[in-house]
Amino acid sequence: MFLNSSSPFKRLFLMASKPQHLHPIAEASVLTSTKKPRTMTTVSAMKDGFANYTDYLNQFNDKRERVVKASRDITINSKKVIFQVHRISKSNREEVLEKAEKDLAAVTSQYISRLVKELQGTDFWRLRRAYSPGVQEYIEAATLYKFCKSGTLLDLAEINATLLPLSDPSLEPLQINVLDYLLGLADLTGELMRLAMGRISEGELEYAENICRFVRDIYRELTLVIPHMDENSEMKKKMDVMLQSVVKIETACFGVHPLIYKISLRRRA
Amino acid sequence: MKSSSALRNGVITLFHSLNPNPNSYKTIPFRKFISINKSSLPSLPTSDPQKFRFFCSSMAQSGDSVYSSSSVEKQFEGFRSTLEDSGKLRERIKAVAGEIESAARFMHSGLLLVHQSRPVPEVLERAKGQIEVLKGLYSNLAEILKECPGQYYRFHGEWRSETQTAVSLIVLLHWLETGDLLMHKETEAKLGLGSSEFGLDIEDYLTGVCFMSNELPRYVVNQVTAGDYDCPRKVLNFLTELHAAFRMLNLRNDLLRRKFDGMKYDLRKVEEVYYDVKIRGLTANGDPGVPRIV
Repeated sequence: MFLNSSSPFKRLFLMASKPQHLHPIAEASVLTSTKKPRTMTTVSAMKDGFANYTDYLNQFNDKRERVVKASRDITINSKKVIFQVHRISKSNREEVLEKAEKDLAAVTSQYISRLVKELQGTDFWRLRRAYSPGVQEYIEAATLYKFCKSGTLLDLAEINATLLPLSDPSLEPLQINVLDYLLGLADLTGELMRLAMGRISEGELEYAENICRFVRDIYRELTLVIPHMDENSEMKKKMDVMLQSVVKIETACFGVHPLIYKISLRRRA
Repeated sequence: MKSSSALRNGVITLFHSLNPNPNSYKTIPFRKFISINKSSLPSLPTSDPQKFRFFCSSMAQSGDSVYSSSSVEKQFEGFRSTLEDSGKLRERIKAVAGEIESAARFMHSGLLLVHQSRPVPEVLERAKGQIEVLKGLYSNLAEILKECPGQYYRFHGEWRSETQTAVSLIVLLHWLETGDLLMHKETEAKLGLGSSEFGLDIEDYLTGVCFMSNELPRYVVNQVTAGDYDCPRKVLNFLTELHAAFRMLNLRNDLLRRKFDGMKYDLRKVEEVYYDVKIRGLTANGDPGVPRIV
């Protein structure tokens, strides 16, 4: 009994961040439990139970930390992909996108893969707050790349298909949920706004018009989906920002449109 | 969509009436006009409407577009229906959570009678009836959750605080009966949980135990008033052990941590009552005293 009840404390001693506080407690309680045999069973039942809870909480908190770290790594490296895509110009399109594709694949295989093992079973929803920022940034990078590459919207199903090979067959594959995908799309419009400005300043008006059309479509579709989202306060904020981006792109496209431009030149003259 | 195109037509008519000669744009204060109508930019009257397509708010049908908005639409339609479904599921869960809350409230009001020094077994019997009700409700909840495996924590918020209350009451009831702490697994079993994916979250259990400790100082005071002078010692023993056990946990800065921080005030209040009773010589002969754990 003595040995049994002391072993969790030894483990605790190793794990605890402030062992100097915890150790004396453990010793004292062991002493009292040997002195008072009547209460010994209840004391050690409670201690044993709490030793289990301690293990459980420690393990879970470690896991959460690992997921947060993975999420940060995903964010940083997805940002790099986004910056890479923004380096696009008329002349270097192919090579810029090629590098972006490689970088994006690296994010998937190196960082997203780290989430697969951690988010098995109920942990997928339980730790959503911990990984959601990273996944949203990843969605943003992947969809931005795809738009520049082919002018289309990367579907959630397509993204999830690329995540399938990450996990070995014994694990449940990681599949990004609709909510994170939509939150990522909402951020995408900000990047597309920057992209549109760049294209306009380089005189690629057709391209800018395409972006404008694309962004409006996303905005319009999102307005219908938002009321059904789980916690939509974050999304509502994003929608406001999104509308600003849409209006900015529209105004910019409008300002440089050949006909309008001619008018304003004529007016100035 | 209909109303916006009607507006646009209206604007165009206005435009025409103001400007019978569409080529002399100069005469119109154009930019000012636009700034007023930012959200519904008017199509310009022109011989080549194709050129201005990108100003329309509905450009879904442009055949030469690089991407097809119909595939976008299709994907979002799918999202809408999945999200609607999970929304319905959430509503059902909310309804059950509401019932759990009211069952717990009944149980609480029943248990409050212990403060009025009613004969304890009678009070406990009545409160116990509600445990069965709770059990039934949790099995309903588990049944609903079977429809969305793996999503326990997606909807956890809907029943979290109700569960913490229920746990605190069940643990209190058990303590009143036996003087022991009902552990997590036992509490889970009392609620009929744990066999499926739907279990009792350990943090919810621990938070519930903290709530239970909040009830004890008042209980001690009332018991002493009613003449049970041994009660403070028993409660103090229990709370001291419990507090020591909680100190083994490495907590994060969340609700549980704050509730645990509050536990020391419960401990102190009980200590004060014990002190009062002892100093007035009201304790029974041969008081074994309180083992010092902390």
